[in-house]
Amino acid sequence: MKKIEISRRKFLQGSVALCVYATSSSATVIPKTTTKTSTKETTNIPYLCNMCRNKCAGFARVEDGIVTKLNPNQYFPKSRNMLCPKGNAGIDALYDRDRLKYPLIRIGKRGDGKYKRVTWDEAYEYIKDKLVKIFDEQKDNRSTLAYCNGEGFNKDEYIKFFGGKIGSANFLDEGSICLNTKLGATLLTIGDIGEPDVAGSDFIIMAGANRYESLITPDSIDMIKADKQKLVVIDPRCTVTAIKADEWLPINPGTDLALCLAMIYIALKDELYNKEYVKKYFDDFEKLKKHILNSNYTAAWAESKTTISATKIEKLTKDFFSAKKPLFYLGRRSVWAKNDFQFRRAMVLINALAGSINTKGGIIFGQPIKLPDEEINQPYYSNAQGRFDLEGIVYGSAKGGSWLNFREKLLNGTAPYPVKAMFIRKHNLMQNMPNIQKTKKMLEIMDLIVVLDTIPSDTAMMADVILPESTYLEREDMVVSFNRLEPSLALRNQTVKPLYESRSMQDILKGLGNKLTMPLFEISMKYDEELQESIKEMGKIDAFEDGGYNLSELYKHDISTRNKTLITKTFGKEAYKTLKEKGVWYPNMNNYHKEIFNNSYEYYPEDKKLYTINRKYRVKCYIDKLDKHGYDAMPTWKDSYDFTLPDKRFRLITGRYVMFTQSATTNNIMLRDIMKTNHIWINNAVAKKLDIAEGDIVEIKSNIGRVEILAYPTNKIAPNVVFFSHGFGSSSDELEQAFGNGANDNQLIEDKMENIYGCAVMNETDVQIKKART
Amino acid sequence: MARYGMALDYKNCINCKACETACKEENGILMGADKHRIWVGTGEIEGQYPLLDISSNAFYPSQCQQCDEAPCEAVCPTQATYYDENGVVRVNPDQCILCSYCMNACPYDARYVEERGMTIDKCNFCSDTRLARGETTTACQNTCPTKVRIFGDLDDPNSEISEVLRTREHYSLKAHLGTKPKLFYLT
Repeated sequence: MKKIEISRRKFLQGSVALCVYATSSSATVIPKTTTKTSTKETTNIPYLCNMCRNKCAGFARVEDGIVTKLNPNQYFPKSRNMLCPKGNAGIDALYDRDRLKYPLIRIGKRGDGKYKRVTWDEAYEYIKDKLVKIFDEQKDNRSTLAYCNGEGFNKDEYIKFFGGKIGSANFLDEGSICLNTKLGATLLTIGDIGEPDVAGSDFIIMAGANRYESLITPDSIDMIKADKQKLVVIDPRCTVTAIKADEWLPINPGTDLALCLAMIYIALKDELYNKEYVKKYFDDFEKLKKHILNSNYTAAWAESKTTISATKIEKLTKDFFSAKKPLFYLGRRSVWAKNDFQFRRAMVLINALAGSINTKGGIIFGQPIKLPDEEINQPYYSNAQGRFDLEGIVYGSAKGGSWLNFREKLLNGTAPYPVKAMFIRKHNLMQNMPNIQKTKKMLEIMDLIVVLDTIPSDTAMMADVILPESTYLEREDMVVSFNRLEPSLALRNQTVKPLYESRSMQDILKGLGNKLTMPLFEISMKYDEELQESIKEMGKIDAFEDGGYNLSELYKHDISTRNKTLITKTFGKEAYKTLKEKGVWYPNMNNYHKEIFNNSYEYYPEDKKLYTINRKYRVKCYIDKLDKHGYDAMPTWKDSYDFTLPDKRFRLITGRYVMFTQSATTNNIMLRDIMKTNHIWINNAVAKKLDIAEGDIVEIKSNIGRVEILAYPTNKIAPNVVFFSHGFGSSSDELEQAFGNGANDNQLIEDKMENIYGCAVMNETDVQIKKART
Repeated sequence: MARYGMALDYKNCINCKACETACKEENGILMGADKHRIWVGTGEIEGQYPLLDISSNAFYPSQCQQCDEAPCEAVCPTQATYYDENGVVRVNPDQCILCSYCMNACPYDARYVEERGMTIDKCNFCSDTRLARGETTTACQNTCPTKVRIFGDLDDPNSEISEVLRTREHYSLKAHLGTKPKLFYLT
């Protein structure tokens, strides 16, 4: 019997460590004394989870000021009354003893982890001195400060502060190491990013997504609950999603585009597509038809690329187009190969050819609940220069940019101006993007690195100043609107007061704003001619007020007051009350929401779901701008997409386990209790040849790095491919659980970029493998 | 007074272990993989890549089967293991002498040494935690993303579990041993 990745308690090694929770919570007391709980003051406070980017809703049971249990929230349409293992283990993120507790200033060399505890004011003072010096030297070019964010919540506010108020153009987020190609491909093809109606579909093809190990609500839940729905999973690995599918088609990594092209070819040639829909909505359909048919993307051709048999491709296409409600699921997952944009675009076109847009079971537009924007007065800095990381990229995200291009331009000296300061919020740069050595070099050229985080990540260890942010259970956040088909508002309430000296992001920025406002205004007065003009015209005080130079403007009122004002004004008192009590609100919730079966709920009656809305849109087969930049205006296979594997090497692919959110949760003691570490999947026949047995430590080398990792020989992967999960192998020894545990994929993955959105390509690295020791 | 049981729509299990985590958090189970009241058993998938039989691989949520004729209760020399008023097989840590007879007697491998309370622990349907507070769900049932678990009163003909057991085929583990489990696996 296999020992690894098999959950049978006898085969997993125990850990003796106790979390803070285990010694402080009443729930850990042995049964005979639990009656004492009746004397405790217990409240159930609705909150929104933040253990991953998805956001589910829950109720925190708080007993005498301690969170003792997190339970799912039955009112939230998105998360459907569930919490995953990560959500349950949120308690152990709150009470993680390795948490950042106080503001810290570096006293050793960067990366050696030597810090001294300081007060918040000392930390702000340090930042102020450094920033004043940098902006003075850079003549008020505010973009010499870059800022980045990896957390879903409060991102807009973070941008308002550093982009809007301080005036930097250089914001980076996880989009270019995550899903920007998918968002972009959908937006450019049908004019909207849409939302898949998984529950309404009777036939789903899933490629480039692993919904049972990378949970997205409600999709993951709806897939398993949908009766009579056929699920075909395309994946190089036999994942849990593949195991639970009706059919799994193993594919040569990076060739999903070829499969899509053949599907389009067959649909066009055999006229399987929805003619009525195409006639009504398609632009340049004839161009697409001509291109695909002339390119001869036959099933036999696709077989040579994908290794999926031509017969199966033919059948899959026919089944898909003859289904009542077919859906080619647009995965939200990393960028796998150089052709990723075209692959995602081809998926959208297949949905469109089947007429599965703006209709039940397809990609729906729906109607989200609109929240008003809180406007702020943003200063104009005439010396602030624009961002440079989108040069050479066709589209890119004007908001979140391109990490690899940004880093490369700073390192090779082609950036038009230096970047001297970096503010990093919950974004673990030292683990999250390919080729960590380059990230380290980029950080080393900074004069100031400030990290806002909850844990001492590898990136925090590179910081000059570390500011401890409170976890999601310790703060109220601004209300958020979710989903389109079953829309709702959800509110993250504060469940307990911030521990140690941690502060919410808003409080951190408020303090920072108060400290920086005048010194930075003076820098602008020195260099900004337009500001000098307006001071001449209206005097210093009015120029300051009018220009919006008060950096803390947004934080005049605390979050609680802002939420109350905004929600009451827009949706009424009752909505606010419901959000505080139930964490969720949507129109008619009291009438619509009901339990339909043991612990399962209905959120909207069928006839109230907006499957189809009245909207003008077009399906774009041909995109001129791509052509003008020398890229394919229509999905096309290029010879350069063929991945050639040198002799005795393997293609490395990456992904995740269900209990981990990248590197953010590998220090969580509860999650490590159920999955101890990561392992490399290697085909069992190959492993045998290389004399590698389960549990052996193997050495993996790529062109840029080397790691050691435990071996997991398995029949679930192709002989020429190896896989291991992202998020492990932390180098920060402040993380007791994560430090040195497993291997970090980005030590090996080469920094290759696709040029449509400037996204890092994750699965185009080859490696060699050898047994290191038993 | 009730007779609690659980039906498992186990084919919907995706082995995410939310149930294990929720159980540990709710019931204060110690860290360590050899210490848990519930677990998900998995089998190896049959075949050689790429010809794998995906239907050969199932995930089996497993735990104390809450037998009506519990061997662990029968062998306990101190009556530490007992039936409570709801038919739940419970353990009284004060009376447990760690003789481990119950561990050997249990055909489902459902009991383990709980080192802090010094008792041989197992699942009790959250009787002393959630049910004692008046809640109607177990931690594992409540949190399950794919809603595998249906919990309720077998004596109540109108309960959802009774309805499910009337309308869907199901089986019990090691039924031939005559332990009469109150856990039912839906097919």
